[in-house]
Amino acid sequence: MTAGMESRATGRRALRIVLADDDPVYLLGLATILEDEGHEITARAEEAYGLRTAVAGTLPDLAVIDIRMPPTQTLEGLRAAVEIRGAHPGVGILLLSKDMELTHLRQLLEAGSAAATGGIGYQLKSRVTGADFVTEVVDEVGAGRYAIDGEIQRALYRTPRRRDRLAALTDQQLKVLELMARGLSNSALAAKLSISKRTVEDHVNTVFDKLDLRPEAKEMYDRRVRAVLMYLASDD
Amino acid sequence: MGRTPRWMSWPAPATPLVGPGMPVANGPRMPVPSPQLNAFALAAAGTAFGIWVLVVTAPDRYADSTSTLFSGAVGGLYLGAGLLARLRRPGNVVGALMLLVGIGWFAEDLQISTDPRVHTVGLFLRSASTGFLIPLLLVFPYGRLRSREDHGPVAALADRILLATGCTVAFVLQPVAVFFHDSVTDNLLLVHYVPWLRQLTDAIQLVVSAAVVAVLLWRWAGASRPYRRELGPLLAVGLVGGLASGLDAALGADREWSHTPLLTATHLSVLCLPLAFLAGVWRIRLGRTAVAELLRRLPLDSRRELRDELARTLDDASLQLGFPAPDGDGYVDVDGRALTAGPGQWTSVLERDGRRVGVLVHDPALREDRYVLEAVVSAAALELDNQALVAELRASRRRVIEAGDEQRREVERNLHDGAQQRFINLGLQLRIARRRLDRAASGAELAGLLDGALAMLEQGHAELRVAARGIHPVVLSEAGLAQALRSLTADLPLPVDLHVDKLPQLPEPVELTAYYVVKEAISNVLKHADARTVRVELHHSDGVLNLSVTDDGVGGADPASGGTGLLGLRHRVSAYDGRLTVRSRPGEGTVVAVTLPTRERATTKEGGLV
Repeated sequence: MTAGMESRATGRRALRIVLADDDPVYLLGLATILEDEGHEITARAEEAYGLRTAVAGTLPDLAVIDIRMPPTQTLEGLRAAVEIRGAHPGVGILLLSKDMELTHLRQLLEAGSAAATGGIGYQLKSRVTGADFVTEVVDEVGAGRYAIDGEIQRALYRTPRRRDRLAALTDQQLKVLELMARGLSNSALAAKLSISKRTVEDHVNTVFDKLDLRPEAKEMYDRRVRAVLMYLASDD
Repeated sequence: MGRTPRWMSWPAPATPLVGPGMPVANGPRMPVPSPQLNAFALAAAGTAFGIWVLVVTAPDRYADSTSTLFSGAVGGLYLGAGLLARLRRPGNVVGALMLLVGIGWFAEDLQISTDPRVHTVGLFLRSASTGFLIPLLLVFPYGRLRSREDHGPVAALADRILLATGCTVAFVLQPVAVFFHDSVTDNLLLVHYVPWLRQLTDAIQLVVSAAVVAVLLWRWAGASRPYRRELGPLLAVGLVGGLASGLDAALGADREWSHTPLLTATHLSVLCLPLAFLAGVWRIRLGRTAVAELLRRLPLDSRRELRDELARTLDDASLQLGFPAPDGDGYVDVDGRALTAGPGQWTSVLERDGRRVGVLVHDPALREDRYVLEAVVSAAALELDNQALVAELRASRRRVIEAGDEQRREVERNLHDGAQQRFINLGLQLRIARRRLDRAASGAELAGLLDGALAMLEQGHAELRVAARGIHPVVLSEAGLAQALRSLTADLPLPVDLHVDKLPQLPEPVELTAYYVVKEAISNVLKHADARTVRVELHHSDGVLNLSVTDDGVGGADPASGGTGLLGLRHRVSAYDGRLTVRSRPGEGTVVAVTLPTRERATTKEGGLV
């Protein structure tokens, strides 16, 4: 991973970031916010080809990518992200979209190899205006972790079969599941829910048992988030 | 007569059929003037004559024989069946010939008389029934000899030669021979006895009979199913009768002239011949039941099914169903290939309300039962018309749904890429301002950020308004089309020249359609045309709303795709019986023109277009 310099203002690691979006006003606003937080924008792209060139040219820590981009205004951004993941696994990918589509997320997850160290983020576009966008999303993905939009909780109840399974979980276990899906680590979970790390671990175990998730996956952060996300993105 | 026939038949050329210019050869035959009356008169005369003959000859028949009864039965059957046939098919000569065979049959019996005068007359007429039977067999069942056009020169010539020879032998040769041979009763007109003459004339008759049988077999071999069905009984009887009479003639003069097995066989087959014809009539009645069956099975799902049902009903596997070709030239079959009639096939036109909805290419035999064919043709026309209507209805329903979907997509795009993005940007701007405030940025910088935010808010609002109008323009139902167009065109970045004549109160769907056309056309102008001015014109006259959107831009829009929005509108316009045209030559700007009927199509009282 590219070594970043410590930002003096925040004490956090400054990231080198490539931005890609076809709306120049948005691009400018986003860049301003990120630069205000001490990050460096190495390149801006308004379409997918420029994005790939920029990533290959500047090898950033993170690429923030709008899923819909010219020329087709369909999934140009997603396709570029999948390619970048294959070509430069160390580059974190933060996908921004106006809606949450789990199949898109799954494509990105499946594109990553085992050696991938770059984080993965998938956020609704409107999220960028939140006060904690940079600290909770950009910094996390830049640090190789996952940051999935809270919208993911809707996927919990997507199929009747899943609703049946989830009925076996307590409210707090459900909350743990959702936060796992959003990419929170055990300590972040504990802080967020104001419970002990030990309780968090219990909940995680129960959730994995009840949902028939592979138990070996729960021990490692990366595997755990992937397991939960793939579970949510699956069609059963 | 009087009424024009709704259907026509003619032999189809072997080349692909052509449309309206198709030659109508061999149209419906003109019926002989009051053939029914003639038939009754002939049958009555024949009956009277028959009774007289039976009475005259009764004393001379063997006392214990059934000869009188038999003669009367055969002759009577011919007269009865002939009358029936004549009444059922006035245009067909078969019935008349059967009547004549019946009369000829009685005439032959005159030679039974022992009165030399009657007997001599009888001798002259000894082949009268055969003389009529040969033409009858040759023209059955259509009442015509085979034609050169349909069956080729050989068949046509063979029929004519046989007819001429048969009649000549029966009505010339045999009577002439009377002068040269004697008989059991005195031949009053015997001039000179020539011993071999009678054998000669009988031999000639044998050859002619054999030839007739051969021709019938020949026809049978080459016949289609419907024809075979009609010919079958006749052929069987003709075969037996022809062989028997031929053998009878061949065996010659040495035998008694009555009660030989051969003569009985001949007579039996002659007796069966009218019955065979009646059997034909019976079969046609079966055909009518089949028509009723066909009607009961309607409506069908596809043209192919209709073809199959028709083929089954008419018992004609070669039957083809043709439809006006999509390019308007000729006809195509159920698979969409150019329709080609087989050799000898005939064509009937399927019409509905004066429109040609298709053609039926079929075996000529079917034409003989006019009623069945007419019923089938009507049913097929009805069904085809029905299928076409249903297909059109489905297509238009689909188009309307597609147009609706397209519009929803459009609204979604507008909301997504427009208003939503604007508000995200606004949020970003405010977020930046907030951050700057934390860092005690200058008042001027903050003011700049907030001004930017306000501008974005305004833009987002405007775009929301546009999107909402795309869902439904409220102003349209509140203030009418003219006002709605005014407000639509008021705040555009391009000057729009709006000319709206005084419009009457229009049905809402018409107003909506007009509104959307103008909106879509203008939005296309803004997106693609690079125009300086747009002119929108609306005027209403004679129940038609005329609308045009003209720009002075680059032109060259593809009218077919021409923006998917326009395509959806084209369907919408056509759903209301209107027409949308796009004229867009490169460099000459674009004109989108629409005509929309504003009145209810029919004169239905209730229920407007709404």
